[in-house]
Amino acid sequence: MDSHDLATIAPLAAAVLVAAAIIVVDIIRPGARTPALVVALAGLAIVAAATLVAGSNPGDAFGGAYRVDALTTFLDLLFVAIIAFTLLFAPDYLAARGLPLPEFAAVLIFAMTGAMLISASMDLLVLFLGLELMVLPGYLLAGFAKRDALSTEGAIKYFLLGSFSSAIFLFGLAFVWGLTGSTRIEVVAANLSAIVAGTAPLSPGLAMGLAFLTTGVAFKIAAVPFHYWTPDAYQGSPTPVTGYLSVGPKIGAFALILRLFVGALGPLHQEWVGPIVVLATITMTLGNLVAISQDNVKRMLAYSSIAHTGYMLVGLAAWASSGRIEGLSGLIFYGAAYSFMNLGAFGVVAALQRRRGVSSSIDTFAGLGRTEPALAFLMTLFLLSLTGIPPTAGFFAKAYVILAAVEAGGPAGILAVIAVLNAALAAFYYLRVVVFMFMRDPKGEPVPLLKSGILKVGLAGTAILTIVLGLFPGPLLQVVEGAARAIAS
Amino acid sequence: MDGLPLISAITFVPLIGALAIAFIPRDRHQAIRWVALGTALISFVLSLILLVGFDPTGPGFSSLERFDWIPFFGIQYKVGVDGLSAVLVVLTTTLSWISILASFGPIRERVKEYMISFLILEVGLIGVFVALDLFLFYVFWEIVLVPMYLIIGIWGGSNRVYATIKFVLYTLVGSLLMLVAILATAYSYQVATGSWAHAFDFEYLRSFAATVGFADGLQLFAFLAFFLAFAIKVPMFPFHTWLPDAHVEAPTAGSVMLAAIMLKLGAYGFIRFALPLFPAAAHTFAEPIIVLSLIAIIYGAVVAMVQPDLKKLIAYSSVSHMGFVTLGIFVFQEQGLQGAILQMVNHGLITGALFLLVGVIYERTHDRTIAKMGGLAGRTPVYAAAFGFFMFASAGLPGLSGFVGEFLVLVGTFATNPYAAAVATSCMVLAAGYLLFLFQRVFTGELSEFLSGLGDHLSDLRPIEIATLVPLGTLIVVFGLFPGLILTLVQGTVGSVIASVSDGHAIALHLFGR
Repeated sequence: MDSHDLATIAPLAAAVLVAAAIIVVDIIRPGARTPALVVALAGLAIVAAATLVAGSNPGDAFGGAYRVDALTTFLDLLFVAIIAFTLLFAPDYLAARGLPLPEFAAVLIFAMTGAMLISASMDLLVLFLGLELMVLPGYLLAGFAKRDALSTEGAIKYFLLGSFSSAIFLFGLAFVWGLTGSTRIEVVAANLSAIVAGTAPLSPGLAMGLAFLTTGVAFKIAAVPFHYWTPDAYQGSPTPVTGYLSVGPKIGAFALILRLFVGALGPLHQEWVGPIVVLATITMTLGNLVAISQDNVKRMLAYSSIAHTGYMLVGLAAWASSGRIEGLSGLIFYGAAYSFMNLGAFGVVAALQRRRGVSSSIDTFAGLGRTEPALAFLMTLFLLSLTGIPPTAGFFAKAYVILAAVEAGGPAGILAVIAVLNAALAAFYYLRVVVFMFMRDPKGEPVPLLKSGILKVGLAGTAILTIVLGLFPGPLLQVVEGAARAIAS
Repeated sequence: MDGLPLISAITFVPLIGALAIAFIPRDRHQAIRWVALGTALISFVLSLILLVGFDPTGPGFSSLERFDWIPFFGIQYKVGVDGLSAVLVVLTTTLSWISILASFGPIRERVKEYMISFLILEVGLIGVFVALDLFLFYVFWEIVLVPMYLIIGIWGGSNRVYATIKFVLYTLVGSLLMLVAILATAYSYQVATGSWAHAFDFEYLRSFAATVGFADGLQLFAFLAFFLAFAIKVPMFPFHTWLPDAHVEAPTAGSVMLAAIMLKLGAYGFIRFALPLFPAAAHTFAEPIIVLSLIAIIYGAVVAMVQPDLKKLIAYSSVSHMGFVTLGIFVFQEQGLQGAILQMVNHGLITGALFLLVGVIYERTHDRTIAKMGGLAGRTPVYAAAFGFFMFASAGLPGLSGFVGEFLVLVGTFATNPYAAAVATSCMVLAAGYLLFLFQRVFTGELSEFLSGLGDHLSDLRPIEIATLVPLGTLIVVFGLFPGLILTLVQGTVGSVIASVSDGHAIALHLFGR
């Protein structure tokens, strides 16, 4: 390890130090919320700065196992933003239920280091390490309300299926390693290119490896039919955790897809594009169909997040079937837009639950337009964005992946049509919440909510990003295109 | 571009009004109402300035305002008007302030949200008519949806939630497929020219369509997608089923905007985009569309005849009248298109006024059932006279504007397709039938038991109501006597659209193999 390596991994090191610092603060002032929050947010700012500095000087570290490029920088900043917003949404919700904040913050930031490791890894083993580091804290967070039966149930399901899928994934990695003789992504890709160039059909071992990897990853991004853990884990978790789980590990898993499927397994894209097209189709359609019948908003958003996985897979399918960069940049843009609008929607749900005992049932939203007009307006904004109505981030993101699919043509072109029909389907259940907020009368006495400044900052931030990315996507387009080019050269 | 960006100002002044209202305390209803009316009037005056300064002899689009919005894909903010846009913009701004004025009385709850929604609706509607970039057009097209969804869903009648969700879902299915078509069109332009520059720019796409032409496959797909979006909006038979529900449940002003302006978005889309960009596909599908138009004309009229509800009757008559518009467009003939455009304007004015009049009676009786009415002429003579006037205009009485549009459409249709013209003409009798029958049931005879039970609630038109109707009535007379006022304005548009489809030939469809 030399100084260059250190400089390259500085953001990661900073993130670990921040998490450790929060624990230290908690030891000095046990249970104190404000110091832990201040340290966490200031620490995230430092991590973001370190990411920018490291990103200005891209390069490899540790003999090529760790790489900082445009993709790493972009994804790391996105992860930092996701964690920061989660931290802004969490304190009031946790306080109302007597749950500790310092542990929450520390565990969350450890999860972030895992995601950051994924985005930078150029080695299959490091990739797996990052994946586990990202999801293990996720299991903890899902069961964070440990006296709540639903939370524990969700956490156990999440843990069992998560470890199961990790094992499958690792098994797939072993096959690929055995048949290509290396764990380095570049070497794997080069060897696979040679195999593909040959006339021999794909060896059974490689085909199995590919199948296991696809299955494992499909679990992590909650693609249908590997999504069964999602609704229970999402509904049972404390709301700010659900918000995080719906974006953090998902974007992390897509980072893994970009490094693994596009980077290492890119030469085999002809082999895996078919399954991805099928996965995208059923994921979008089933996610939306089941979301329609949900009466719990968290559960509804869980199924909607499954559908959004499908839209992102459309971008991947577009790249795999045509090799056009727009597929990947569309996917990355979608990931960013989805993160902010979905976090915002969960932020509103968390804001409504600032009092113990308020459920996330859709009835909670009845008459919100009268009792809490500002929250109702924000929720409408996020829901319209999730639907894909302009001028919001969600609209442009959808247009971008659809454009990529149209460009790719063929089966991906059909995916474009399926995607827009799904968007119309999704409008039904998103607008149902709007109906409850504005077109129903409030049930019972309105419950006074805690006054909270920090939550307002989070909601304002996600709302502004949702609008600005929709109205002026230009600057971000440049960035995501650079990020996409970093892997698909 | 020099001086004031007039078109952008017309479009976004209502948005400024909406933002201003957002900062007014919600219980200050009068202030909110006057700010809304004021901004709508400013936009109206600006649009008149635009119309007066408009030079109908100039080629193409005038008063272009543009900047690069998303240069990465050549997407621009580009607005401009030709005669057709200018006329429809003025129609929109006129009916907007009238509708806002007409809402002063009936809307007493959540006035703030209502006026904000209404002004944003106006932004979207104007934007659709002036956008010259396909992406921008789509953005405005979708923006229209949200405020109308809220207006029907919050301030509508008892079954409003069902109606508004139906309305949104119908429209979304069509428009989202149009988005795919827009992206596919831009992409094929990008492939042909090798660059994203101007790939969404309507003027470049139009000249590309006129010179090189889009590939047959793309034309067929894109035209069908555009057709679906526009046909749902018009609405053409059999995509009309959302309309009666939406109209019945919408508050009065919502119905006015829906009938007068929103239905025109679809017809405008056909004239502006679908025909010039995909002329061969338009020829391919012209005959089925003419048949659908004829069905709409007859079906709308026949169904209107048996409606028990005043609003539903007028809603179905809209289906019939808009059938004339699509008929006029798809005969690809100069008089036909002129008639279609006239009919768009006239239908906006007449049906807008009729919905206002239904709103007047509904506000007093809280009922719209025709069977409960009767003998209103003796009790509310001014109201009866006004209703009679607009009803005759709707029936196509010569001298009023409704006549000219339908007449020109029929002339155009006769030149190309005499049978279709014969079928359509018969419908004018039907229209006279259901309207006179309606008038007889509501206004003549003894005052009905239901109405006499209302006592003093049943007052005649108030000054504010007259103020909303007089401008519409005046325009109907003026355009009835001098249709040339509009025809001169749109001659450039008509000429270029007809030219773009004149030498078109249908694409051979091999539905059953070669």
